[in-house]
Amino acid sequence: MLLRKVTQSPALCGSILRIPPVLSGGQRQARAVVNSRLYASEATQAVLEKPVAVGSHATAKVEKQAVSIESKSFAVNIFKGQIATSQVFPYPSVLNEEQEQFLRELVGPVCKFFEEVNDPAKNDALEKVEDHTMEGLKEMGAFGLQVPSDLGGLGLTNTQYGRLVEIVGSHDLGVGITLGAHQSIGFKGILLFGNPAQKEKYLPKLATGEHIAAFCLTEPASGSDAASIKTTAVQSPCGKYFTLNGSKIWISNGGLAEIFTVFAKTPVKDPNTGELKDKISAFIVERSFGGVTHGPPEKKMGIKASNTAEVYFDNVRVPADCLLAEVGGGFKVAMNILNNGRFGMAAALSGTMKGVITKAVDHAANRTQFGNKIHNYGAIQEKMARMAMLQYVTESMAYMISGNMDSGATEFQIEAAMSKIFASEAAWNVTDECIQVMGGMGFMKDSGVERVMRDLRIFRIFEGTNDILRLFVALNGFQNAGNQLKSLQKALKNPLGNAGLLTGEMTKRAKRMAGLSTGLTLQGAVHPELAHSGELTVKAVEQFGIVVEELLVKHGKKIIDEQFVLKRIADCAIDIYAMVVVLSRASRSLSQGQATAQHEKMLCETWCMETHERVMRDIKTLRSSDSARLFKNLRTISAAMVENGGLVTPHPLGF
Amino acid sequence: MKSARCLLHLQCLRLLDRSARSAAQCAPLLQSSSSSQPSVLHKNQHQLLRQFHSSPAWSKSQPTPADDHKKDKSLVTNDDLFEQVAKDVKVKATFNKVVDVFLNRDVRRRGHVEFIYAALKKMPEFGVERDLTVYNKLLDVFPKEVFVPRNAVQRMFNHYPRQQECGVQLLEQMEEYGVMPNVETKVLLVQIFGKKAHPVRKYQRMMYWMPKFKHVNPFPVPVQLPEDPVDVARFGLARIANDLDAKVNVYQLPCTDITETGEEITIPHVVGIQSPSQMELLAKHNPNRPVFVEGPFPLWLRQTCVHYYVLRADPPEEKVEEPYDPERSLYYPLQLDVDFGRDLGDEENFDVEDLDEGPVFAMCMTGRGDQATLNQWISGLQENNPMLGQVPTLFRVNAGPQELSASADAESGQAHRPDTKTRSGEKLQRDGEPGVIVEEEPQRRQGRNQ
Repeated sequence: MLLRKVTQSPALCGSILRIPPVLSGGQRQARAVVNSRLYASEATQAVLEKPVAVGSHATAKVEKQAVSIESKSFAVNIFKGQIATSQVFPYPSVLNEEQEQFLRELVGPVCKFFEEVNDPAKNDALEKVEDHTMEGLKEMGAFGLQVPSDLGGLGLTNTQYGRLVEIVGSHDLGVGITLGAHQSIGFKGILLFGNPAQKEKYLPKLATGEHIAAFCLTEPASGSDAASIKTTAVQSPCGKYFTLNGSKIWISNGGLAEIFTVFAKTPVKDPNTGELKDKISAFIVERSFGGVTHGPPEKKMGIKASNTAEVYFDNVRVPADCLLAEVGGGFKVAMNILNNGRFGMAAALSGTMKGVITKAVDHAANRTQFGNKIHNYGAIQEKMARMAMLQYVTESMAYMISGNMDSGATEFQIEAAMSKIFASEAAWNVTDECIQVMGGMGFMKDSGVERVMRDLRIFRIFEGTNDILRLFVALNGFQNAGNQLKSLQKALKNPLGNAGLLTGEMTKRAKRMAGLSTGLTLQGAVHPELAHSGELTVKAVEQFGIVVEELLVKHGKKIIDEQFVLKRIADCAIDIYAMVVVLSRASRSLSQGQATAQHEKMLCETWCMETHERVMRDIKTLRSSDSARLFKNLRTISAAMVENGGLVTPHPLGF
Repeated sequence: MKSARCLLHLQCLRLLDRSARSAAQCAPLLQSSSSSQPSVLHKNQHQLLRQFHSSPAWSKSQPTPADDHKKDKSLVTNDDLFEQVAKDVKVKATFNKVVDVFLNRDVRRRGHVEFIYAALKKMPEFGVERDLTVYNKLLDVFPKEVFVPRNAVQRMFNHYPRQQECGVQLLEQMEEYGVMPNVETKVLLVQIFGKKAHPVRKYQRMMYWMPKFKHVNPFPVPVQLPEDPVDVARFGLARIANDLDAKVNVYQLPCTDITETGEEITIPHVVGIQSPSQMELLAKHNPNRPVFVEGPFPLWLRQTCVHYYVLRADPPEEKVEEPYDPERSLYYPLQLDVDFGRDLGDEENFDVEDLDEGPVFAMCMTGRGDQATLNQWISGLQENNPMLGQVPTLFRVNAGPQELSASADAESGQAHRPDTKTRSGEKLQRDGEPGVIVEEEPQRRQGRNQ
């Protein structure tokens, strides 16, 4: 069946290409974007100059700006019950020919290197990346992928970076972490916030891998709570240096690094009140400053090849030149580094999934039981199909976000967080199912999947646990929806002056009440063959917008304390984004007439069907009065366990 | 001229009534009003009286003084009738008997309007003010079909206004006591006044609204309150508490003992109520901050006033809220800026126990509001609230209710009064319990507390 469709596809695609003029127009648009594309160093800069409406440091002023300027982000808009297609349709193709060529030249050798030189099992057993591998990586320039070429790096765009990281992820996540801790977060601060002098001083050596970098934020008492950072940096009376004291834990590359991006509290005088207040500042700290020591490598569950250690700073004299951004500006630095690095994880994990799926498929195709290859059995088929869908979604997400970033989008933070959540969980599920397909074989060390599983586990935890990022996704969305509601409320005060807006809102609500479509549509954006999936997505967005508004009106400001609700809202939002991402990618494939277009269409349709169901179910739960009881029960059970110091129920045997 | 005559006529009546005994008192009054000599007035008066006698028109509509005297007497007899017939027992049976006596006295039922007015006034005395059958029986006093308009003109104008008014008055009294008329009432009214008369209209309006309002009160107070003060207290407390989980505890039952010396000692009842959430609040109370027993506060249950006491604390110190630091959480916002204005249909629930002016932990009612009795309550509460053992308890009890209830039940009021005096004089200090401190309540606090 599938085969037949694929063979038909060229003819089909040809006709399709002629049919929709809208899509070809979109295609042209994409090309225009490519032409006005920014080069790597510029791209990173552009990314930085976004309005800081991200997360917690969204100040009132910035928010007002955000209200006046319509957001282009798809994820932001679904919380308002709207669809903004500009960032998602058509699927971004941001590489120009030169860049594509360059990337093509890179992919081959990198693949070859990881297949032939790097030995993930050995790295895992040794609990370090082998020296010759390190040397090889350095030679290839893998330590300076996004460093501008004039400073000795490869000067890759985010998309190019994603593609290479994908290869790393598919082979060895331990190496991936070593590289990621170095360039995705380790010296990203210098790249984003460093002044020219700092860049020139540090980046060349970092790009060649001569110096390894590390990102020092986490402390024993401070995970996501920046206020509890204990490390201090006190400015000397002369103002020429800071004295840094404190300790950081679980620092990737902590034992190898020469350059550290350290976050510490500095007393800052409030310009308004004149009060001294501790604020976070970011510093570049060289090991050679003296006073920097590290603990032994930590014993971990996975990513053993990467070095993780405690780092201690004992009266380290940091010259004032090594301050990143301004004094007290560390929070912004940290936020931006983290937000900018997240898409890379999705890219790496899509590679990981690709790797394990290959193994699973290989096994399923060759293993015979009861005289049949096991891939003939429905149980295995379902697993394989789901694995393929998850990988397809993750991959689509990763490159859509990197594409958005490269084309100068300033609002990708919610999407990036979504991709991190989705990718880490999808990879976990895929690997888990891969082991299941492989049976006992998967459980054995030799198959190499067991290591992947261990390595993967951390991705749901670090750089903001998925649970916390879900709060970020949901709350950011609610904030935007709230701003919209507020402006509506303001408009109501002057109904005559805002007649247009108000009648629009009224008809929208009236239509909702009558159960009609409110005029949202993906028609024209989605390929006609995927119209049904598009409709499902639109329905989901509509319902989602309604439930968000209801919840906001119901809870108001206190929605922030309703984490049961927030979690479900975030799940819905991620699912909807995933739907639209695959729709976009499958539409592109269909309209370009790619050989795999029909297969992609099937992936997309299946995904949309299932996800639509799931979103609707979640929304129903949120709207029903039962959910309140459910949440209360969950809360009570948890409280009882805490009170009991463990499970409450007695043993069924009574002892 | 006519009005002046009337005025004089009235004055004469008054003078006749009061006779010579009050003449001296009346004289200056009359002087000031008419500025004429009293003797002259007397003369005039006689003349006038004679004039009235001779006027047949007046004698018909307005009672002559002699008639008036008689009528006045008969009006009194209507009242007297009730007093005579029901000399000792004022119950429904005797009331009915009075009505029967009136009905049998005169075939024409002369003076039935006056009688009905008198009867309506007497109803509460006989305890029949909520009895529908009695009202119907009273309506039955009206002669039937006499007042029904027979032609268009009669219908157009107020036919027999006094009678209609009386009928409406009767219905109004029913309404006031919440008695819903029935079909019999309607039949009677139609028989008496005709289909479209004012009383029937009134009846129709009552039948429209009263069924709607009959069960509108979600917290009805029974017409007959229980006799036992403990039961009354139980009911009253449950009524205030507004929490189905709240538990009423009887800490002490009322009883009377006679000691060896022959002294009579009455032990008052102590009934308290506390809900689980109040217990929780009390458990969380900071033991360094005192709790107060305050009261008494009045609670009216229909005509009965009972008093209750509360155990409460001062509001907790202002919670110093840390200003929101936007650079606190690295990953997600800790605060949303979505303050919507209030809107219709917003939920406005609030906690009835944890109030801004301080939490209320428990309430009680007692027969005697002195400190010793209230201490019984506190020690009873302590069983379920061990926290109370550590918290200093201050009694801020004032003497208000005794004075209030003094008029209502003078004997109990007198019994209490010396008690309160000693309290205010001596500043009772419970010696047995170190935790209990007595604070004398300044009189001016009353207003604030109640």
